[in-house]
Amino acid sequence: MNAFLQQDPINETTLPWLEDVVKLGEQLAADWVRALRHTGAEQFSRTGLPTTAWEGWQHTNLRPMLQTYFHYSIDAVKFDVKKLPEKLLEDSDRIVLVNGQYQPQLSDVPKGVTVMSLMDASVQIEGIEQHLVTLGDLRKTPLKALNTAYMHDGIVLTVKDGVDVVRPVEVLFYNIGSSDRVPAIYPRTLYWLGKNSGLTLLERHVGEGVYLSNGYSGIALEPASRLKFYKFEEESKGAYHFSFTGLQQQKNSSFEGFSCATGGKLARQEYQNLLIDSGISSMVGGIYLLKDQQCHDFTVLTDHFEPNGKSVQHFKGVIDDQARSVFQGKIHVRRSAQKTDGNQLNHALLLSETAEASFKPELEIYADDVKCSHGAASGKLDETALFYLQSRGIPLAEAKSLLIQSFLNEALAQVSFAPVKEIYEERIRTWLAH
Amino acid sequence: MAMLEIENLHATVAGREVLKGITLSVNAGEVHAVMGPNGSGKSTLSYVLAGREGYQITKGKVTFMGQDLLAMAPEERAAAGIFLAFQYPVEIPGVSTTTFLKTALNAIRKKRGEKELQPIEFLKLQKEKTSKLGMDAEMLKRGVNVGFSGGEKKRNEVLQMAMLEPKLAILDETDSGLDIDALKVVAEGVNALRAKDRAFLVITHYQRLLNHIKPDVVHVLAQGKIQKTGGPELALLLEEKGYAGFYGDGEAAPRAGGKSI
Repeated sequence: MNAFLQQDPINETTLPWLEDVVKLGEQLAADWVRALRHTGAEQFSRTGLPTTAWEGWQHTNLRPMLQTYFHYSIDAVKFDVKKLPEKLLEDSDRIVLVNGQYQPQLSDVPKGVTVMSLMDASVQIEGIEQHLVTLGDLRKTPLKALNTAYMHDGIVLTVKDGVDVVRPVEVLFYNIGSSDRVPAIYPRTLYWLGKNSGLTLLERHVGEGVYLSNGYSGIALEPASRLKFYKFEEESKGAYHFSFTGLQQQKNSSFEGFSCATGGKLARQEYQNLLIDSGISSMVGGIYLLKDQQCHDFTVLTDHFEPNGKSVQHFKGVIDDQARSVFQGKIHVRRSAQKTDGNQLNHALLLSETAEASFKPELEIYADDVKCSHGAASGKLDETALFYLQSRGIPLAEAKSLLIQSFLNEALAQVSFAPVKEIYEERIRTWLAH
Repeated sequence: MAMLEIENLHATVAGREVLKGITLSVNAGEVHAVMGPNGSGKSTLSYVLAGREGYQITKGKVTFMGQDLLAMAPEERAAAGIFLAFQYPVEIPGVSTTTFLKTALNAIRKKRGEKELQPIEFLKLQKEKTSKLGMDAEMLKRGVNVGFSGGEKKRNEVLQMAMLEPKLAILDETDSGLDIDALKVVAEGVNALRAKDRAFLVITHYQRLLNHIKPDVVHVLAQGKIQKTGGPELALLLEEKGYAGFYGDGEAAPRAGGKSI
């Protein structure tokens, strides 16, 4: 199958994926948007989906997806408003997207913030183009190319210069699947924070049934802006979730990203954090809680261009049943990025004999005055610690929960916004109770 | 009937017989010392009583307050009133001592059919017990035993004992790794818990702990069996003459220091 996929240029397997692109052709769009779509489609048609022979895809096999035929639809999605979940935080504003389509009638936009659909933004926001065309090499990122081929849905959220948005903003991606006509959803999102602005963002992915969500979020942080970016990957059991987050940080900006992955059948969250100036802080972390036959992949690149940057990649996961996890982390320190402080850590706890964890930790350093560390390990629950807890009267199941929570707490310590930390803790308790 | 009745207990570890027929009975209110050389089965006995996995009971029985102890899970034994003070207390990063103690105490209370303590009631109780042991309250906020010195770890064991109020406390080599000052503090903590309805099984290699925790009965354990039982004077005799007289053919001679389970 892999050899088949590698055929070059166009092969049969790429065609179904691009079949629905024509639907977009009938819609009005700026020339540069049309050009981008064309580039995306062309690049994807050359590669198809990545196989396990690809660099960065050795441990995540997309083969199971080929059994399903996915359909993109441009028509307004029909849904029951009552099915949308409650807001994560009562004291927050929420933006709602259903199958990638922005729902302004269900969204609250706080003062100092602008939210519009991607297509509206592409013609209304000055300078938006520069943030939407910087795509990198699409040949190496087929899923991003595919998302670009379908560039239509999603939102652009901007924060004005100097505005510190007090209330957190939740961006809800609600996905409705179907087993007879399985939807493919391609949201393209941009979060753009102006100079010296601040925002706390909760990005939640949740859904029902079988679907593919292949999203691409760009995050542009202008000088001295501050973003707390808390993700909840809670897709349905039958869902395929891919999200590529391209972060570009300017001078003295700070990013605190954290993600809790519990959902999906097969999922990959990829981060590409570019620290293009000096004095930048870029923390990314997460926890993954996997069971049954779930597969989840965190692939994170932190790229230091200039001096005095500080970055963290700190992930912890718990894997049960036949579930599998992948962590690929790379900290790249360029020659000019002196005084970089980079730290990478990944630990996985295996709860069953058949659970699996794969790691690929990398440091690539060209500067000579840096402080970088990395560590990766997997293990089982400590039998002696379990007995210690039991000998104090704590029942075995509770003792296990306590040890698992303590293991995950070390990663959660990165989350500085207490109300979100509490939600993550709640998610852990819920997961443990099942 | 005695609180704890051990009858002809045989146990193997990884196919090797370590306990070869132990018979012992402890009454409420008594302090029994079990002394023995390295490899005699002392720690095995304490783990078997507390219910640790990995030990096969091949013969014999243990009755605790009329119940078949060996049929119970470790947490059930704790609820019934067994407490093992570990020779090497375990470090648990990420769980504070307070959370650990509260979870343990409430689990035991629940099992005993008692009302769980509310946070305020619990903290009050913990504060009282902590100050009695001269422990720094800050330590309770840290991960269980993480970064604790040897003495602090043992003091934490005594604190747990004081909080959980067991019927039978088993002290496994509580004196190991302690300097004389720490030993005194720990021994005072233990002595403060002596009561008519509580018994102690003090397991030790050396006599010095028994200067501070005075036993009523002393047993000598060697080659997996109780070789001799007597009063406190037996401990003094061992101090003077060593365990040499209790080794049979093929048994390893006592080593200075060191320790094996």
